[in-house]
Amino acid sequence: MGKTVDIIKEKRVVSQEVKDKIKSFNKIKKEILKCLEAGQKTIPQISAELNLPAETVTYNLMTLLKYNQIAVGEIDDMDEYYYYNLKQ
Amino acid sequence: MAYNYSNINDYDVLVIGGGIAGIEAALNLAYQGYKVILVEKDLSIGGKMIHLSKVFPTLDCAACITTPKVSETARHPNIKIYTYSEIKDIEKLGERYFTATLVQKPRYVTDACTGCQLCEEKCPVVVEDEYQWGLVGRKAAYIPFSIANPRIAAIDIENCTFCGLCEKVCAAGAIDFTQEEKRSTIVVKSIIIATGFNLFQSERLSYYGAGKFKNLLTSMQMERQLVPTRPYNNVLRPKDGKVPDRIAYVLCVGSRDKSLGNPICSQVCCMYSIKQAQLLMGALPMADVTIYYIDIRAFGKGFDEFYKQGVGMGVNFVKGKIANISEKENGDLILRYEDIDSGVLKEATHDLVVLSVGILTNPDFEKLFKTTPLLKDDYGYVRQVSELLSPSKTSIDGVFVAGTASGPMDIPDSILSAGAASTEASVYMKGGAS
Repeated sequence: MGKTVDIIKEKRVVSQEVKDKIKSFNKIKKEILKCLEAGQKTIPQISAELNLPAETVTYNLMTLLKYNQIAVGEIDDMDEYYYYNLKQ
Repeated sequence: MAYNYSNINDYDVLVIGGGIAGIEAALNLAYQGYKVILVEKDLSIGGKMIHLSKVFPTLDCAACITTPKVSETARHPNIKIYTYSEIKDIEKLGERYFTATLVQKPRYVTDACTGCQLCEEKCPVVVEDEYQWGLVGRKAAYIPFSIANPRIAAIDIENCTFCGLCEKVCAAGAIDFTQEEKRSTIVVKSIIIATGFNLFQSERLSYYGAGKFKNLLTSMQMERQLVPTRPYNNVLRPKDGKVPDRIAYVLCVGSRDKSLGNPICSQVCCMYSIKQAQLLMGALPMADVTIYYIDIRAFGKGFDEFYKQGVGMGVNFVKGKIANISEKENGDLILRYEDIDSGVLKEATHDLVVLSVGILTNPDFEKLFKTTPLLKDDYGYVRQVSELLSPSKTSIDGVFVAGTASGPMDIPDSILSAGAASTEASVYMKGGAS
C-alpha cells in the first residue's frame, strides 16, 4: 500500500489545539528527560527543579513510564515518594 | 407478506452493546445455532467489566473472567462482531423482522494489524488516555488497552498530525487513511438491547471539588490504579506522586439523590468500595482507609460477610454525610461531614479521596429506533413491561433488554439478565410468545 496519509492530508487540517498539545508534551518531555540525566529524582524534586506543577510532572512522567522511557527506582526514606530515572 | 432480503446482510439476532451482558446474550444465542450480529460502539468488546481489578465478593480477577468470554465470543462462528460501530434507524418490518442501519466508523487501521504497537511507539502525539480515565496519556495511534479485543490499533483522527510515521513503520501495511464511514442495512428477527450504563459525572458536584482537586478520584480511576496494567507504578496521588497514607471513600455520589435526578440506589457502590478498600490494604499495608457512608447495603449472597471482612481487616466505617471538600496547599483534602450517629459536624484530613460514583442510565437506546420509540421507565432505563413475569420484555415485541440497560445491577445479575433476554429472544424467534 502506498502512502495513504498524503490522501487524508488533502482533506483534513491539523487543529491549532493539536499542534499546541504536541509542542507542550515534547517540551515537558525534553525537560523531564534532561532533568533525570543528572540522576534519579522524585516527582516533587523534578517539579521544583523545572518549576512545573507537580500534577503536570506526574501526568507526563507516568506517560513516559508507560512508553518505557523512564524506570522506577527505590522509594524514599519516608516511604512517600518513588525515585524515577532514565531507562538504561 | 414476503420480503426480498437477497441483497442485504442477514442475521437472526442483533445484540447492541458488547459489554458483559451483550456478549453473554450473544454467546447463548450463538450456541443455540442463531446467527448473531454484535455491535459495539467502542474499539473493543468487554464493556466496563474488562477494565475492573477484581469482582466482589469473591475477589476473583475481573479480566481473568472477562477475557476468555470475550475471546470465545470473537471466535464463535455464529457471531459477527462490529466494533467502533453503531446502530441507527431500527424499524419493524412486518410482524417478525426488523431493519437497521449499521454504521461502521473508520479506525484507519485494517485487520492486517498484528498489534505490535510500533505505530504507537513512533506516534509523536500524546492525549489523555480515556481507558485510564485521564490519569496518564496515550498516543494518537494506539491499541486501546492491553487486553483489547480485537487487538487492532486505531488512529485517533481528531488528534492526528498526519505525520505518516505510523504508516512508515507498519510492517503489515495495516494503516489506511483512506478508510471512510460505511453504512449497510441489516435485517434481523430479534434485537437485544445491552447498551449498559453511564457513570455519574462527579464534576456536577462543585461542593466536592471534583475536576478541580487532583487528589480527588472517581472510583473508576481508583479501579485502574488497582489493576496490574495500572497507569502508575503503584497507587499514587495524581497531584504529586505521593504514596497515600490516609484514603477516604465517599459513598452514594450521584445516587439516592432526588436533587440530582437519580433517587435510586446504584446497588454496587457499597460493595465495590469495600472491595477497593480491601485491595488497597493489600497494596498499601500501612494505609488507613475510611469509608463515609449513609448506610451499607450488603444485600447479596456473601455481601454482608464481605463487609464484615472489611471491618475485620481494619477498614474504618464512618456513618457520615459529606457536606463539602476543600484542598490544603500540600494537596491533602479536608472532608467536612455530619457524623450521623452523634449529629455533630466534624472534619477529617485525607491524602486521597475517592468518590464512589453511582450508575446512571445510558440514554443511547433512545436514539436507536426510527419510528416507534422504545419506552423508558421513570429513571430513564429501558422499560421492562413485565418486570416480574418476563423481565427482558420491552415495549416493542421482539426487542429484549439485558443487563444494566434495564437498571443498576451487579455483574452476576447482568449475566442472569442476559440469560433471560437470550432465552426470551430464542422463544420469540421460534414463534412463541414474545
